[in-house]
Amino acid sequence: MQLFLQVLLNGVLQGGLYALMALGLALVWGVLNIVNLAHGAFIMLGGYVCWALFTWAHLDPFLALIPTAVLLFALGYGIQRTVLNKVVRGPMFNTLLITFGLEVVLTYLVQLAFSADFRTINPSYSGANISRFGLTLPLVNLAVFALALLLTVAMWLFLLHARLGRSIRATAQNLTAARLYGVEPRHLYALTFGLGTALAGAAGGLYGQVSQLNPYIGATLTAKCFAIAIIGGLDSPLGVIAGGLILGVAEALTALYIGPTYVELVSFGILVLVLIVRPTGLLGRAT
Amino acid sequence: MKRTLLWGVLAALAVAIGALPWWGSDVLVQFGINALLLAALAQSWNILGGYTGYASFGNSVFYGLGAYGVAIAMVQFQWSFAAGMALGGALAVVFALLLGVPVLRLKGHYFAIATLGISQVMGAVVANLPIAGSNIGLVLPLINNNVLFYELSFALVVAVTLVVWWIARSRFGYGLIAIRENEEAAAAMGINTTWFKVAAYALSGLFAALAGGIHAYWITFLDPGGAFDLTLNVKMIIMAVFGGPGTVLGPVVGALLLSAISEVLAAKVTGVAALFFGAVIVAAVVFMPRGMADVLRRWPQQGWRYFGLNMRKNRL
Amino acid sequence: MKPTFRTARLLLGLMAAFAVSLPAYADITLGASVQETGPVANTGRYYRDAYQFAVDRINAAGGVTVDGKKEKLALKMYDNQSDINLSVRQYVQLLSEDKVNFLLGPFDSSYVLADSAIAEKYQIPMVQGGGASNQIFSRGFRYVFGTLPVASDYFGSTLQLMKQLRPVPAKVALLYADDAFDTSVAQGTEPKIKAAGLDLVMNQKYASNSADFGSTIAELKSKGVQAVLVAGHETEVLNFIRQAKSLNFDPLMYSFTVGVPSADFRHALGKDADYAFGMTPWLPSTTLKDRWFGNAADFAAAYKARFGYAPDYHAASAVADVETYVHAIEAANSLDPKTVRDALARVNFESLYGPIRFAATGQISLPQNVIQIQDGKVVEVFSDRLLAKPQYPMPGWAKR
Repeated sequence: MQLFLQVLLNGVLQGGLYALMALGLALVWGVLNIVNLAHGAFIMLGGYVCWALFTWAHLDPFLALIPTAVLLFALGYGIQRTVLNKVVRGPMFNTLLITFGLEVVLTYLVQLAFSADFRTINPSYSGANISRFGLTLPLVNLAVFALALLLTVAMWLFLLHARLGRSIRATAQNLTAARLYGVEPRHLYALTFGLGTALAGAAGGLYGQVSQLNPYIGATLTAKCFAIAIIGGLDSPLGVIAGGLILGVAEALTALYIGPTYVELVSFGILVLVLIVRPTGLLGRAT
Repeated sequence: MKRTLLWGVLAALAVAIGALPWWGSDVLVQFGINALLLAALAQSWNILGGYTGYASFGNSVFYGLGAYGVAIAMVQFQWSFAAGMALGGALAVVFALLLGVPVLRLKGHYFAIATLGISQVMGAVVANLPIAGSNIGLVLPLINNNVLFYELSFALVVAVTLVVWWIARSRFGYGLIAIRENEEAAAAMGINTTWFKVAAYALSGLFAALAGGIHAYWITFLDPGGAFDLTLNVKMIIMAVFGGPGTVLGPVVGALLLSAISEVLAAKVTGVAALFFGAVIVAAVVFMPRGMADVLRRWPQQGWRYFGLNMRKNRL
Repeated sequence: MKPTFRTARLLLGLMAAFAVSLPAYADITLGASVQETGPVANTGRYYRDAYQFAVDRINAAGGVTVDGKKEKLALKMYDNQSDINLSVRQYVQLLSEDKVNFLLGPFDSSYVLADSAIAEKYQIPMVQGGGASNQIFSRGFRYVFGTLPVASDYFGSTLQLMKQLRPVPAKVALLYADDAFDTSVAQGTEPKIKAAGLDLVMNQKYASNSADFGSTIAELKSKGVQAVLVAGHETEVLNFIRQAKSLNFDPLMYSFTVGVPSADFRHALGKDADYAFGMTPWLPSTTLKDRWFGNAADFAAAYKARFGYAPDYHAASAVADVETYVHAIEAANSLDPKTVRDALARVNFESLYGPIRFAATGQISLPQNVIQIQDGKVVEVFSDRLLAKPQYPMPGWAKR
């Protein structure tokens, strides 16, 4: 029983991080209808920025998340404005292809800059944990989980109530009408994409604390984020939390009861099943 | 007169490419096999993505099934290569028929992600199958005959291109194009869209599987990562899109061109080859999103302005 | 119609550009495809640098003597970008287009498994120091030789040490990644654990490149495992140790097939790396004498001075491969592939890597030394007898 509870706990904590990782992707996809195949690369970049701040500027990794997010926001804004805005109204798979190209470019730029060596963000408190009732609660994972939930709820509130958030939603629903109301779509698209990459960057900084970074993790992270985003549904950040938790727990339990080599099968299997049966996601509005 | 000239040029080109092992260097033959297999893949994707408008991001699942069909047949059962290819092709078609109906109900991004997911699932399934060598993979019987592989690949490209040519002027093809342009209208006109789409899916899968089978036997090694490779999906799409989706020769040209660029980069610039390739992809999508075929078609009227006009059309 | 003409001209131009052949080399050329970029590059670079280092040093000392003349060695290396399929094509290119004389290998059993088939196909010898898995050598190939010791034997000396520890670990777990090398290790280790009279309570395969060991560690804890043997890749081992710490799992000992000998592994973990056991077939000692480098310690110092990082057994193994060719070529007094192949099978000399001698399968037989990280330093603890006191049992995480 205790083993089951511990594994469940692991899965839930992992699920929080998963939710944050996928949040940026879901936002950009749901609002801008841009499927960003480079999303994982932005997570990886965020991880590296955070690592650099931690290693060279000796900034605490949690504090370093703020400059990381700001930097990644600027990068995302820039990329959307200069590159992605040029293809947004073309056929759908052009954005898929161009973001794939971006992913390749980002990966190899990071490899040139930082080499293929793996990096870890290892502050002095990294392995801290509390053990009670036969269960162990890793504290960094708990902090990551709490932060992820916080950011997700903040994003939900932002989209619902803040003026800018509502402008973003308006632009997504009806571009022409939004324009008539004075919204500058190029700026707004770039802003949204930047928000997505900022979230990815923050997730990367947290990821670097619980796992390790190398330039090539982008592709697998993107694939995982797809699964999370789809399972939860793209309509709301709360759906992403659900998706993250479901996937986190499913993976942890699969590793325990079926075997660790089946985890990927289950993750993507759930993705395919959800798509076939209920494409809008488990929490999305059924069309 | 001009039509016969066109046919003559095409035929001469085809003969020249087909006869390459006799006038080209060994390395050119190697490059040729790889480029032709990619051309076959791009062309097979074209059937589903170019003509039917269903951009699959998981055609590598068929490639992998074909490769494993050949590998398992030859290594575990000691069958011949031909029997292996038959097995691989059969696996692909059955798979397409079984999964086609549920998956082809999805559209756009969702369809793309679903196919991607399916490809990953198959990779994970195979990695747990002892008969397929699990994650270690299989080593196929050695055969030292590059000419054979070259001609097989060439024959495959010719075959799939002929099928696409037939599609472009058959009722089946018109049905597919109708589905691409407006699926609801097509259904309203009485086209059994499900049947058409599944048929396109199976056809596309069959040729991808045959390409996979040839590649596995040529490389003599196969593992799940290589067979169900994520980047292979994107490569075949890029090549089809670069050349011109929905055209007969576009994907072949796109594949040969991009392969050439990639090989030259890998040979000369090694370390940053992948970087440049990514940059080429980005540039191609921004400046010529409808592929080379479209560039060549409109160049006479528009010249360099083509690229600017394109961008203005597609940008926000 | 016009577009097709343009297409035709384009294609013809491309074909012409490619019809040009590259010249063959005059020196004795060794060809290799190594992982200079891509996910495996941080071990692949050992091979790239070591091959170059060896060739330069041998040439500086005069080169290779064949038929009474001194010939220089040349190196033709390609970057396979950590892509097995590309590495296979590059080996074909090395043989069919570049027409190199002999082949050196890539890193990692999975690559060697595929690439060695090319060497056998073309009947050109390949001496590789990157693949240890049993599948490579159980195919009856005659042209493939390996300087990494047999995979199934990697934990042999560790198990011997474990029997001498007090208290002997009661419950043992074996974890292994699902690639060629690690499954070979596991298949060989499982019977050895039982033969040593130890109780194997958990034998689990996990997916290569796994980042999350939470469930596995929770299961290890609940079963009360006291010794964990892990056959995997550096990144997995790194994750395992960090997660063991945050889940408060502290067995009496753990031992890993990779990571422990390498400096950036220890650097990444800091103090958390202490107490970990590992293994290496090579240590930079002064007792391993070499014709070109003096001894292993001198080699290590010179390597670090030139490349900026310390070599480990991968680099030493790669250097040994180049030296093996020199010995074989001189013994055969010929560059004919078949003659050199026979000379390789009979080769027997001392090098900075250790004694070089191949079994009938083509693989070297070297004992693994058990090492342990003690206070941030690698200490040789056991080879066939106890060399230093192992720090055992491992104190709990809280008490460090």
